[in-house]
Order: sequence, then structure tokens, then C-alpha cells
Amino acid sequence: MILLTLRDLRFRAVRFVVVTLLGAVVFSLLFVMTGLVEQFHREPFDTIGGFGASTWVIAEGITGPFTAASTMPAGSVESVDAATTAPVVTSRSSITVGNDAEQVILIGHDPGALGAPRTIEGRAAQGPGEVVVDEKIGAAVGDMVEVGGVTFTVVGHSSDTTMLAGVPLVFMVTQDAQDLAFRSRDVISGVLVDGDFGAVPAGTVAVDADDVAEDLLAPLEGAIASVDLVRVLLWIVAGVIIGAVVYLSALERQRDFAVLKAIGVSNRTLLASLAMQAVLVALASVALAAFLQMFLAPAFPLKVTVPTRAFWQLPLLAVVMALVAGAVGMRRVAKSDPALAFAGAGA
Amino acid sequence: MSDVQVRDLVVEFVHDGYAVRPLDGMSFDARGGELAVLLGPSGCGKTTLLSCLGGILTPKSGSIHLGDIDITGLGPRKLEAYRRDHVGFVFQAFNLIPSLSARENIALPMVLTGRDRRAAFERADELLEIVGLSDRANHRPAKLSGGQQQRVAVARGLGNDPPLLIADEPTANLDHIQAEAIIRLLQELRAQGRTIVVSTHDARLVPIADQLIQMLPGNAEVEQPTHQVTLAAGESVFEQGDRSDLVYVIDSGEVDIIRVKVDGSEDFLNRIGAGQYFGELGPFLGFPRSASARAHGDVVLTAYNPRVFRSQVLHQH
Repeated sequence: MILLTLRDLRFRAVRFVVVTLLGAVVFSLLFVMTGLVEQFHREPFDTIGGFGASTWVIAEGITGPFTAASTMPAGSVESVDAATTAPVVTSRSSITVGNDAEQVILIGHDPGALGAPRTIEGRAAQGPGEVVVDEKIGAAVGDMVEVGGVTFTVVGHSSDTTMLAGVPLVFMVTQDAQDLAFRSRDVISGVLVDGDFGAVPAGTVAVDADDVAEDLLAPLEGAIASVDLVRVLLWIVAGVIIGAVVYLSALERQRDFAVLKAIGVSNRTLLASLAMQAVLVALASVALAAFLQMFLAPAFPLKVTVPTRAFWQLPLLAVVMALVAGAVGMRRVAKSDPALAFAGAGA
Repeated sequence: MSDVQVRDLVVEFVHDGYAVRPLDGMSFDARGGELAVLLGPSGCGKTTLLSCLGGILTPKSGSIHLGDIDITGLGPRKLEAYRRDHVGFVFQAFNLIPSLSARENIALPMVLTGRDRRAAFERADELLEIVGLSDRANHRPAKLSGGQQQRVAVARGLGNDPPLLIADEPTANLDHIQAEAIIRLLQELRAQGRTIVVSTHDARLVPIADQLIQMLPGNAEVEQPTHQVTLAAGESVFEQGDRSDLVYVIDSGEVDIIRVKVDGSEDFLNRIGAGQYFGELGPFLGFPRSASARAHGDVVLTAYNPRVFRSQVLHQH
């Protein structure tokens, strides 16, 4: 069976190479789309995890500290019954590096407390006029940048500190953030808590860090659904490509199959041979795509995180898809009449 | 034992609602080690008979035996095994698989039907030796001449050493040198005790045949004299599927031409009257009647055999 399959692949090598390449392009896009969706889901959890808090105390009536604007008195920090607490300020803002401006999310934290970023270069902000920026922003340590119209010095870089599909965070001390966001040092956005806690002040609620992260996914629902739809469409395209080539192969080899049936080869063996062809093309396409995506992913403006599971799930799904797509061709083989082997059958 | 016994074989195809019988009551015997040649024009049922012998086509009625195997009584699985183990096929169009070498074409059916791969290739080498193509073992069909392809096809048919070899027009696409090589090969295979049934238009095969089976449709072997036929309303002149031996000219009355369908319904085709003739194509071409003719009211006809009709009647019309 494998002899027939491999020889036919070699005989129609040009076609199969073209189809494999086409399939590889489609599958590499699928890898990237899978990586995008993965990144959408992973990003808020990674970023919120970086704050070091297990619980966020926020104003009652809002869904989360990043998706709705609200404040609470700065003294609320002391009112939270917990061992480790810290104030936090969150606000949408913009940063200008040279002539380039972009949207950022501003985070105010106390030096060395919960909410201070882990830096990959330099150090965290210790006092007024200092910021740590996500490496994605492209400002070097020591550069002067403008945040909300105020000049700051970049003292460090953080990594994987983005949310809402790639909006970078800028970290500064609480007072600077309060000045920029509220023009008042009397209010904060919330209180970060790590570990067990007791009562929270009236008018506030305690929200689990994972729920804060989950809340950040809500604005992305439409984008995630769109990417998922593109993924479904890409699967259909891959299925059509492989199905078409298997069908064409079955059509061209109808007489071959009729001859083999006539001389006693079972339908099952012939179907397995054609199915194997479909599976080999699909697997070759996926293998090539796994390589191609390494070059394709960096070209995307959003971070792409292809999960390890995709490297076995995608081939597995591709095999299932190839068998389904090849079913039309296989049906044709199953129905082919061995009498076709005789020229002028029916004479 | 590889004697072939065919009895009262009827094969019926339904086409556009009406039945056609390429074989209608066919019987013959071929003993083991005999070369039987089926001769006849296109459409006379040669390939249909080969398909039945090969277990590819199931007849409507009748029986086929190869030795003590009743082929017509086998189910699909057993027919598959019968084709694999007892029959070698050689097709007019060679039908080699283009992606495989000559050696692989011979070995593949053996591999696909469960023989050990190494044993299959050893057997393929033996067969290539027998058909004189050892030096072309690794060539694909496109690199072989028609004669060489047909010899590979014969070798493929012999893979499982079948007692019966059936060949459909094995020399049809070959020049006389290539055809001679195939005919010699068939003679050698017969000498080994194999029963060979060949369908052909090729008269070159006739001298080596142990048995000639004429597959001409059942026309009258003795010419009938011209005579008059009188029929009452509704009586049949001939029925669809009958042997065609006479042409009719209507002296008086009218005749309906009707096609009978498998479900028993009838299509009215034409009504012809005095001075007109009908039923000439069947006897001229050697085909059975393609429709029925029935008297519409009382009718008087003159019946001619085709030779007389052509010389005495046709030129007057």
C-alpha cells in the first residue's frame, strides 16, 4: 500500500509539492492565528500576575480597574484588613518618544511594594520623574519621554507588561500617577492585596486577580471571535486544497483503481492508500508550516505566542481534516467499477 | 482442474428503461490447457463474457464453473478472492500503473493481496524473465513499447499463478512484430496447462486457437425464403430482443413499433402502413430486435431474408 502511495506522490511530484506549499502557507497562518488567540488569552493573566497581588480591592459597581474609571480615597489602603497591601493607580494615557506618540496604560505604585514591575533592564521607579516602560515602547534606559505631557526619565524596562491586545504599561511612583490621572493625591484607583485579608472598606469590593485578568478579555471578545472565524475559514481552505488534490488523484487514477479491484485488491486497501496520501500531504504541509510560522510570526504587529500544544494538535486536526476532505475522492474510489478495467466495458 | 464450463448465461443491462441482453443463453466449455478464442464484432458481448468469467460481473442467470468453483454462486468477498487467486487478467489498454516500474507493476497486486513483499518481488523478477523483459524491469510504462507493456501486463496477470488467464483484445494495439511476441507467449502459457480465454477481432489468433467461439448475435443460419405473413389485430410480428433474421414489407394494414421497458410499460415509437418496410437494421447489422412490432388491425406482410430484401426490394424504395 505504501509503495503505491509513495510512487504516486513521486509520479505527481510537482502537483504535490505545489499543494504542500499552498497547504503550508495556510497552516502557517493557522499557527499564527492560534498564537494570536493564545496571546490574547495569556496576556492579561501574565500582566496581572506581574503585579504580585492575589486580590484587588476596587470601587463597588465597576467590572475591573482597567475597563472602568473609578477612584477611592487614598486612605483606603489602611482600611483593608490584610498583611500586605499597596495602593495602585491605573489610567489610560499616552507616551511620546521622540516624535512618536502611542497609547499606554499608566500604573502608579509605591516603590518596592505590590504593583512595582519586575525589570529586565535598569531598575523600578524610586521617586518622582522616573518611569519604567515596557520594552515594546522602544525607549532606551536614560531616555527622556513625555507621559501625559510631563517629562520623565526612563530608568528601566519591563517585559510582557501589556494588556488589551498589546497596549504597553508605563510604571511610575504613586504620586506621579495621581498627579497625571487625577490631579489629586487624595484618591487612588484601588488597593493591591497579597494573601489572606479580612474586611474591606465600605463602597469597595475585593476581586480575585484572575477575575481582573478575565475582565480584561471582555473588550477583546469581538477580536477573538473574528480571529476564530478566520481560523475556521483557514481550516476550510486547507480542507478544500487537500480534498481537491485527493479528488483529482482519485479521478485520474480511476482506471488504476478499477484494474487493481479487478485483480482482487480489496476496496479497503485502495481506500487506505488514498487516505494515506491525503494524510501525508497534510502532515508535510503542517511540518513545513511549523517552520514557516517562525518567520511569519515576527512580522505581525501583535505578539504571537504559538502554544506548544498547537504543534501536536494542529497535525492531529490536519489528519482528521485530510480524511474528511479526502472522503469525496475515497467515495469515488469505493464506487469505481472494476469492469472499467476492460476497454469498451459493456460490449 | 481448470476446465471452464459456461451454461445458459444471460446478462442483461437496463438502459434508459429498457433491457439489453449482450449475452442471452450463452454456453461453452474450455478444458484445462486450452486456448479459447472469442470472435465477434464490437457489441456482441465478448467483454461482457470475460467480465463474467473473471468474476467482475454477475449474470442475470446461468452458471459459470472453473473446475469445481461455482463462480455465479460466490458473494462479493469470495469473488474478490476468486479474482485474486484463480484469474489472471490482461487488458486491451495494458492498464499498467504509470507511476510504477515494470517490476513494481507486477509485484504490486501480489503485495496488496497479502503476499510477503520480498517474495512478491522475487516472483516479479521470475515473471519478467519469462516474458523476456528482465532488462526493462525498472522502466516505467511510458518508457516501454506497446508490446513490452502488454508483456508486463501478461506477467502481472500471472503473479499468483492463476489457472485461468483471460485476455481482452491482447493484440489490438500492437504491430505485427509485437503481436507475434504476445501470441507466442500465450502459446507458451497454454503449454503449461493454463486455460486461456481471449476475446479478439484479430484473425492472427485464429490458427493457434483450440476452440473458436463465434460471438455473432443469433442470426438465422439458414436463409428463409420470401413468404407472406397474415396477422390479426394485436398479434406480434416479432418481440424486442428476438433474433433478427427477416425484413418485412407491409402489403396491407398497419403495424405498431413499440419499445418495451423493464417495468413492463411500453413506449409507442411509430405506426407504419402499406408499402412501408420495417425491421431491416437488425438483420443487416446482426443485432437482436431493438423494439417489438405488432399488428394494428388485420395485416398482411411479406417477409424477406436480408440478402433478397437488399437486392430485390431496397433499391425500389
